[in-house]
Amino acid sequence: MGCTTNNPAARRYCRRFLFTMLLYTLFLVLAVWAFVHFRPTGPLAWLLAVLPALAIIGQLVVFGIYLAEEKDEFQRTIAVQSMLWGIGATLSVTVVWGFLENFVHVRHLDLILIYPLYCFLSGISFGLLQLRYK
Amino acid sequence: MKNRLRVLRAEREWSQADLAERLEVSRQSVNAIETGKYDPSLPLAFKLARVFGTTIEAIFSDEK
Repeated sequence: MGCTTNNPAARRYCRRFLFTMLLYTLFLVLAVWAFVHFRPTGPLAWLLAVLPALAIIGQLVVFGIYLAEEKDEFQRTIAVQSMLWGIGATLSVTVVWGFLENFVHVRHLDLILIYPLYCFLSGISFGLLQLRYK
Repeated sequence: MKNRLRVLRAEREWSQADLAERLEVSRQSVNAIETGKYDPSLPLAFKLARVFGTTIEAIFSDEK
């Protein structure tokens, strides 16, 4: 799903994804800057803390829009399969890690790392599926 | 599901890319259908039949 592909839905997805990444970067920088310089409290602190997450949620929405717009059913199938493999692998890794934390006291896995882990594992799944159907 | 896509394409001297363009799908999609790795939906099967001027049964069979 690259920005230079002939597939219009994939091109739009890529552009929107990059836009959400830009928003994420801006929101994260803004939140860090505000907390370092002003130490906000109350509703403003909550809003600033959640801003970067809203951009991430936007990425999930953008993926949903891609699935709705993709006319090539096979490409849609690959996208859904890679998402499902990514979700399954992420749940597997995190549930195993959770039990390890409880019983053998491995280092705590920060919840903020779960989404990048999902992206990484979905990306690997997407690559493997591309190879399978090459 | 078995299919006769390769034969039908060869009769018309179409490449996978030619067929993909007519179906408005990717070449990868045509390859996946042709090699039996992916079974198309009914609408796409009808579109294939229209493109080749034949019936779905003449393209696909449920033999293993």
